[in-house]
Order: sequence, then C-alpha cells, then structure tokens
Amino acid sequence: MAKTVLVAMSGGVDSSVALSKVLEMGYEAIGITMKLWNNKDPKTNTVRPSLCNSADAINGAKLICDRFGVKHYTIDFIDLFKKHVVDDFVSQYMSGKTPNPCVKCNSLIKWDALIKFSQEIEADFIATGHYAQIKKRGDEFIISKGIDSSKDQSYMLWDINKKQLSKTLFPIGGMTKQEVREYAIKNDLETANRAESQDLCFVLGDDYSQFLYEIVPDKMENISDGPIVDEENNKVGIHKGFTSYTVGQRRGLGLSFPEPRYVKKINPINNTIVVSKKDALYSRQCTAHSINLLKDDLSFPANIMAQIRYNSKPSSAEIEIKKDDEIKIEFENPQLAITPGQSIVFYEDDTLIGGAIIK
Amino acid sequence: MNKYFDICATTPIDAKVLSFLKKESKNVFGNPSSIHGFGQKSKAIIERARINVAKSINCSPSEIIFTCGGSISNNIALMGVLKKGDHFITSSYEHPAILNVIPFLKRIGVSISLIRPNKDGIVDPTKIKDEINSKTRLVSIMHINNEIGTINPIDEISSITKEQGLLFHTDAVQAMGKVIIDMQKGNIDLMSLSGHKFYAPKGIGILYIKDGTHIEPTLFGGGQESDLFPGTENIINIGAIGLAAKICHENLNSHISKIKELDDYFIELLNESNIEYIINGLNRVPGVINLSLLNAKSTAFIINLDRKGFAISAGSACASGASKGSHTLRELGIKSQLMEKSYRISFGKFHSKKDIKNLFELIKKSIK
Repeated sequence: MAKTVLVAMSGGVDSSVALSKVLEMGYEAIGITMKLWNNKDPKTNTVRPSLCNSADAINGAKLICDRFGVKHYTIDFIDLFKKHVVDDFVSQYMSGKTPNPCVKCNSLIKWDALIKFSQEIEADFIATGHYAQIKKRGDEFIISKGIDSSKDQSYMLWDINKKQLSKTLFPIGGMTKQEVREYAIKNDLETANRAESQDLCFVLGDDYSQFLYEIVPDKMENISDGPIVDEENNKVGIHKGFTSYTVGQRRGLGLSFPEPRYVKKINPINNTIVVSKKDALYSRQCTAHSINLLKDDLSFPANIMAQIRYNSKPSSAEIEIKKDDEIKIEFENPQLAITPGQSIVFYEDDTLIGGAIIK
Repeated sequence: MNKYFDICATTPIDAKVLSFLKKESKNVFGNPSSIHGFGQKSKAIIERARINVAKSINCSPSEIIFTCGGSISNNIALMGVLKKGDHFITSSYEHPAILNVIPFLKRIGVSISLIRPNKDGIVDPTKIKDEINSKTRLVSIMHINNEIGTINPIDEISSITKEQGLLFHTDAVQAMGKVIIDMQKGNIDLMSLSGHKFYAPKGIGILYIKDGTHIEPTLFGGGQESDLFPGTENIINIGAIGLAAKICHENLNSHISKIKELDDYFIELLNESNIEYIINGLNRVPGVINLSLLNAKSTAFIINLDRKGFAISAGSACASGASKGSHTLRELGIKSQLMEKSYRISFGKFHSKKDIKNLFELIKKSIK
C-alpha cells in the first residue's frame, strides 16, 4: 500500500507543485493548511486571517487538492503558534533583538506539531514547498540547499530536530523557481501565477511595531523616546523607542552627518541606541546560543561556512563549543552588522549542519 | 450518501426535488413580472411554492416571502425591525447570521442584551423577561441550536414577548423537517428558514412575517417579495423549496419517528460499548447529537473518519473552516479540552440502522 504524505499547503504555487510531485512519486497525499494567526486591522478594527491562512490561501489549497482528488483540511494551530512563535518574537524585540520567527515556526510548528499530527492521522511523511533538499548520506538524513540558490530556504530550517528529517520530503528542492512556475503552467495548476508575499505572514503590512502594540499594548506604552549616542556616549539624536530599530539599520535615524551612521547596538536597559560609522559595524566574532546540530560527527573546533542573516552569503569561520549551549564563531573575514537575535547558520559546502541564535 | 452524517450542515437535494429542478430548468425562464405567458408560468410556480410552504407550517401564503437563504432572512428581519434607540434581546449561542449583525446594530444605535443559554443548552425564558425594558423592541431566539440540537421553549418565550407587546423572531433553520412547526401555535412574528437544511437546493430561503407585522425594507429594487427581497425571483429554486416543504410536511410524522429510532439505536450502541462519552445539551431534537468522545484524538478523529468516507462535523459548518471549539459549547461552559473532542453527528432521512451501525463501528475502532 502506498505511503501517505501530509502536504503543507499555503495555496501558492510552490506547495501546489509540491503536492503534484508527491503524487508523481507514487505516494498518497493529504493536503493541510495550518491556521496560524488572525490579524486585527487597526483601521477597521476587524479581525482577518493572516496571510498564511487567508481565505485566498485556503481556497487555493482546496482548489488544487480537489483537482488531484486529494482531501484537504484546515487545522487550527493558533494557540501553539502564539506560544512558540509570537511570544518569542515579542520578547526578542522587547529585549532589543531581531528574531527570525520563521525559524521557530518551522521547527516547532511545521515540523514538531505537524509531524505529531501526521502520526495521529496515520500519515507516514510530511512534505512542504521549501526550496531545500533532503538527502540520505549513509544512515544519516541531511538537509542541503535548494538547487535554486536565489530561492534557497535552508537558512530557515536549521532548528528542525534531526530525527524528523527521515519523515520529511521537500518535493521541489531540486527545481528552480522558474521550473516550478513552468511546471505549474504546463500542468495548468490554478495557482501557477499567484503572487508571492515576502512579508512576515503574521504581521499585517510588515509593520511589526504596530503588531507589538496589538500583542503587548501595556509594554509598548512604556517604550519611550530615548537618546541616540555615538560610540563615545555623546548624544547625537533622539530615537522613537528602541523596538523600532535593528542593528545595521541606516534609514530613519533622523541624523545628519556627512558620513552615514548605522545602528551598532540597542540597549533596552538604559533605552539607548548606539550609532557608528559603517566601518565600526564589522566584527570577526560572535557567540550564539540555542544550538542545534544536524550532523552527527562534527568535531570542534570545526571549520565551516557561517551565514549571519537570511539574505547574506555564508562566510568561512571556525566554530567551537564554549560551554553548554554556547558556541563561539570566529570569522576569517569581518562581517557587517552581526545582529543579536538573528540565526547564525552553519554549512559544509551545500549541507546544512546546524545553527544557533546570535547573542 | 449513507456515510454522510452532517445533515445539520446541509442536506442533499431530495430526489423528487431534483427531478423538478431538471425538468423545470429547461422549461421555465420567463420573468414573473412580465405580462406574457412565459412570465405567467414563472409566476405560477412561485405562488404554488408559497402555498406549499404556507401549508407546511400552517400559515397564510401572504405571510411567506422568499429570500436567498436563512442568513439573509435573519438580516432582513433584524435590520428591518430595529432602529436607533431600540433594545434587542438575543442569545449568545445564535448562528453568526444573528450574532454578526450585532456590531452593525450597535453602530446604528441599538442596544443589545445577550442571554447565555444554561449549561444544558436551553435559553431560560425568565432571563429574557428580566432583560426586557421600555426600549425593547425585538427578541430573537433560535428554535433549535445548530450545534447541539437543543430545542428552545419558543412558545413560552413568544408568549412573554406578546404579553409585553414586543416582536419575536426565531431562526428556525434547523427546526424545519425535524419538528412540527405550526404558526397557529405560539406567537411568532418572524421566522427564518433555509432550503438546504430540508432537502431543497442552496441559495433559497424563507422569511415568515406574521400578517400585520411591519418590516422596513433594507434592500431596494423592483418591489419583488413585498419589497423586502427585490430582484427577479429565483423561480426554479423557489419552486424547489416549495416542493421540498410539501414533501417534508407530508412525511414529517413518520420521519420524526424514524429519526428517533435511529437516535435511540445509536445511543444504545454507545451505552453497550465501553466508549466514554458525554452528550452535550439536554432536550435535544433526535438526530442531532453533539458528542464529546473522551478518548478521541481531537481533529485527527474527524479526518480519520473522513478518510474512510464518513462525514461528521466538529461544530457548525459556518464556523468550521478550521477545527477550533465551537462558540456554542463555549457558551455552555464546556472546557476547551473537552470541546476539542466534541463532534456533531446528524442523521437524515436516507439513513438506515445499518448505516448507524457502520458509523458506530468505525467510531469504536478509531478511538481504540
């Protein structure tokens, strides 16, 4: 009897093609759209499902599933998403850090929760439309980058529990985005030309400040203006509340210097933003916590490639475990604006070997 | 069809109604307002349907208007009666087609009292009496709750509203075809019905308006359906709802006995097994069972049944794109852990004892 795959469907072209590929591989499939969040529109005060589970997303998913004779379900994970993703997102910002909520959403919701759910309905695997690949190397399952380097999403997958990789399929990881679109058009999939959203799915209009006001209004009331200082602690301006800034930010500081200034550090304790010239933002090392390693036989210190943000390039570095849950990263070349709260992700060639959160 | 246990969400179309639809869709197309014979034929279908519906609930044909569904009937009733300064009483476990009108009513200056049902799922008439004030204009209480099937004492409630000179509306969408509806009993002024809950097609509904009850139009057009639901009539569907009402009325007593027998059988099977369960709501209509299965695995349970071709529900279809617990159960004070394991099973006229047994066996197997 064919094994059953639970395909996470967002109603977009990637997951639509993922479903079709799963069926081509000879599996039985079940489509699922995870209901993760509802946004409150501050203008109209109405509550609407957020992007990832909008009516468009669900309808698109149902349409594609129906086309293939596959059952589709919308399942509510809002409470879990709040606990694991939203609360973490809020607390990171409140402590002056810049989180990657997609990382937590992947490891704790799309993998932990979805795999648990797949077992309850007696499915054998989960599949998603991520641009990444699962490969078997000996007895070990590994994640490697998607073929399409411009779309590769492996950076967001570092926190997945290694044991879950054997239960995971990435059906489109071996395709480029263009190939996915062409496949969808050729197969006349209704979602072939659906526009992609780059926004955080649960933050309306990407306005995370407004989002923080919605979730923790009391705490945000206490976020006030404060000094912007230079590296010598001279006041050079006034910020609008530290939660509105991120390390490396240049725009919106309201400063007039002949040479641009960038946010170097956010200090929530004394409500201060430190700015500097671009040169001073470069550093060679950082430490990180919440380590997850996806490779069994890694010995330390290890020479790897480390990537400090989603849209940056991996750079050569040496990593060493310092103590329990702290890893030290020493780069060969200085890195611009290593940002606390962001994920630092480790690779060997195209293989994802782990990651951690920058301190 | 015999694996479909979600008739509260919607019913399939009755075979005779389906034949009518097929036949008359070919033949009938004239505009009922036209002077010629084509128009006259269409008009006749509508008026015959009005008579059929009126007979089925024992009222006058002039008291029936056709709409496009139960939700719209509710909207037309509430918005057509209530105006600025009025006070409106309803229950907190009504269908969204009542509850979601409330923000609009508030915006136009209507004050609202929401009555919570008791833990058995019944609205206590004395609570309504307590809320009535000099501004109260309308009370709306559903006849049968769509998620737990409990039957509200609408005769008692409507005698209170009559005594106080108020209007009474009931959303009886779940009642038609499950209990006898007799407009000569009680004091109902306004009542909403929906075709697709009693084997007529979707997109067709009824608003009963007692003779002498005035409703302000809220939709405007060519004056059709007493000015309250304008637009060229949905002739074929109106004919279909009329026929469905007639069939429903003619077979109602035997249908009620049959469903009661199936309901008793299902409960008997549950009792004879070691399945741990709670039925939510007392004084419920046979054939609508809201069941908390203590050892079921939440939403996965429904999916596992669906994968075997059996359809049950996690709550009302109008609220259940996803699987979060129902607002009705929440209003009854049922804990969320239990809500997640609560399912609505509803039987229809096409079910047999064998079908019930098959469903039961699968449930038993699924919660092992």
